[in-house]
Amino acid sequence: MRKMRLFSVLSIAALAAVIAAAPASAKTQLHVIVAHFSDHTLTTFQNAAKRFEAAHPDVEINIEDVSWDNLQQRLATDIAGGTPPDVSVIATRWVLDYVQNDIAEPLDSYIKPEFRSRFYENLLKPGTVGGKTYLLPILASTRALYYNKDLYDKAGVTTVPKTWDDLRAASEKVKAKGDGAYGFGIQGKEIETDTYWYYPFWSYGGEIVENGKSGIASDAGIKAAELYRSFIEAGLSQPSPTGSNRQDIETLFKQGRLGALATGPWLRGQIKSEAPKLNYGIAPMPEGTKHLTWGGTDSMMLFKSSPNKELASKFIEEGIFSKETRLEFTLSEGFLPVLKEEMDDPRLANDASLKVFADMLPIAKFAPLMPQWEQVVATTTSALQQIYLGQADAKTALSAAAAQIDKLIAPQ
Amino acid sequence: MSRPHLLLPFVMLVPSLALAIWIIGYPVADLMRMSVHAVNRFGRVGNFVGALNFSEVLTDPLFWASFWRTVVWTVSLTFGTILISIPVAFILNQDFAGRGLTRLIVLLPWAVSATMTGIVWRWTLNGQFGMLNALLTELGLIGQPIEFLATGEVAFPVAILIGILAAVPLTVIIFLGGFSSQPSDVFDAAHIDGAGPVATFRYMTLPLIRPFINIAIVLNVIYAFNSFAIIWILTQGGPANSTDILVTYLYKVAFQYGKLAEASAMSLMMFAFLLVFCTLYARFAIRERAW
Repeated sequence: MRKMRLFSVLSIAALAAVIAAAPASAKTQLHVIVAHFSDHTLTTFQNAAKRFEAAHPDVEINIEDVSWDNLQQRLATDIAGGTPPDVSVIATRWVLDYVQNDIAEPLDSYIKPEFRSRFYENLLKPGTVGGKTYLLPILASTRALYYNKDLYDKAGVTTVPKTWDDLRAASEKVKAKGDGAYGFGIQGKEIETDTYWYYPFWSYGGEIVENGKSGIASDAGIKAAELYRSFIEAGLSQPSPTGSNRQDIETLFKQGRLGALATGPWLRGQIKSEAPKLNYGIAPMPEGTKHLTWGGTDSMMLFKSSPNKELASKFIEEGIFSKETRLEFTLSEGFLPVLKEEMDDPRLANDASLKVFADMLPIAKFAPLMPQWEQVVATTTSALQQIYLGQADAKTALSAAAAQIDKLIAPQ
Repeated sequence: MSRPHLLLPFVMLVPSLALAIWIIGYPVADLMRMSVHAVNRFGRVGNFVGALNFSEVLTDPLFWASFWRTVVWTVSLTFGTILISIPVAFILNQDFAGRGLTRLIVLLPWAVSATMTGIVWRWTLNGQFGMLNALLTELGLIGQPIEFLATGEVAFPVAILIGILAAVPLTVIIFLGGFSSQPSDVFDAAHIDGAGPVATFRYMTLPLIRPFINIAIVLNVIYAFNSFAIIWILTQGGPANSTDILVTYLYKVAFQYGKLAEASAMSLMMFAFLLVFCTLYARFAIRERAW
């Protein structure tokens, strides 16, 4: 009997709680999806939401973080089901799909010139389609050459490689005297296999798309593929690159078994926590005929379907791009800043290794926005793997891939 | 006693039938609708396009390469699994000390998901940090580490072996059921008549477990045909699509390339293929009672 009474008291209390909670939903709700960059990402954006809610008591912001592997599919499902978020992080290269399907809202009418001018101007370019700004970058990254100082000392490499030929010469020395270490890591498996090859491809003057056609089978493309192939054949890279994804070569480097590799700023953080004794340096991307590097951004997008676009854009400006949130994000994630004012902070300004990456922002080249991008990547990757495996020579494999890509990207 | 109600069995089937239609029928109907329309990356269904999606799939060389690889994969996985499972189940059915523990050890991998199996093997097979290479080098069997997953010629057979390993426990259970349901008197009679162990196995055990072999074949074919996790985790179908089977290629077409309509057409064809196989097999093999 006593239990019964307790039970009914509890259920009445629960009911009361539900009723009491009801007015809370009268607040304007914003649903924001962020990608899971690290375990700190959710906290960063929740802090931003809390500050914004404190300033705007009638607003409630739900932040949700979704892993990169699921993000594209998750947004597609939400859009198809009619429950898209108000704001979401997306990979910048997806923007065409969202614009063509009338899902992204152009931001030009919401962002004032003062806000716009806080960004590094060239980082806004990748999110611009048909002259309209659809995306605001939340991070930037460039790629640089990490080299193992101890291995280079042991092998007698005295100057840091400046060109791809220098890198080959240094790798030969590492192979000769490096106690089984490999000269240069080449990625040949899974996501960004194509990116790893754009480094030399672009530096030899190649373009992914030239006059509406694939440019990968150009002289620059063949030269870049043959360069990597020559590393593999001469044993200057780790054996069988088609078995190594990005993490694999990064692990080799952390273990001190790799003379050099090209990758982004995140590896600094990993080395700090996993291999603090590794004596390494960071240098600009090797040159071919041009000096440039790969640049990438991830971005914030406002959904056209959002009933509260005005408020959502306010949260973007005052919450997500407040200096406080930006610094928390940049410092905890290890990416490059997107706002000029971030570099005023001494913690970023005095970070010498970050500076190598940030200094390359002006020469960073972005992959072109094009339809069917994921399939273009898959086709390119497949051709590169055939070349790395020695199943086809560079010209044959790249020409076949270029012909396929031409069909994919031809206007229909 | 009155005659049993004629309608009652059908009425009792209704709930499970409704559930089956809801779970299987609705998605299939939706797939059919998408397969004859243009569908964008976000699942929005557009114009009716007839058989265009089907012809796109059928003229895709990667589809056919994946199809033939799926046949090799399914056949080798099924026969490999059954070849290993019969003797294992036979031994586990004998009375020996520690049989309970041995059974547990053989069947335990069943509790491990294919995804976890894949991840463990991906690490084990890694060319630079993998246990297997470390072991082989330690034993002096190889001088250079082998990159097991770097070429299709090596990676695909390796994936088949791992697939067999993952399928053995369930199949062993099926055959254990078969062996333990065998009548012991006929075996005693054969023993008295002077049949040796080989003859007994060949002429008595095998025919008696034939229905169980049939079940094992059907279940393993369905499992192997739809087995996504192991290949996806080991190689993602690479390098250069050399280990893609239909399900991994389907995943790429649908969720990486965003071609939902073509993917619908492809999955309908796969569904039809499996359905036809199972129906034909049930008709010709399982119903046949000539043993």
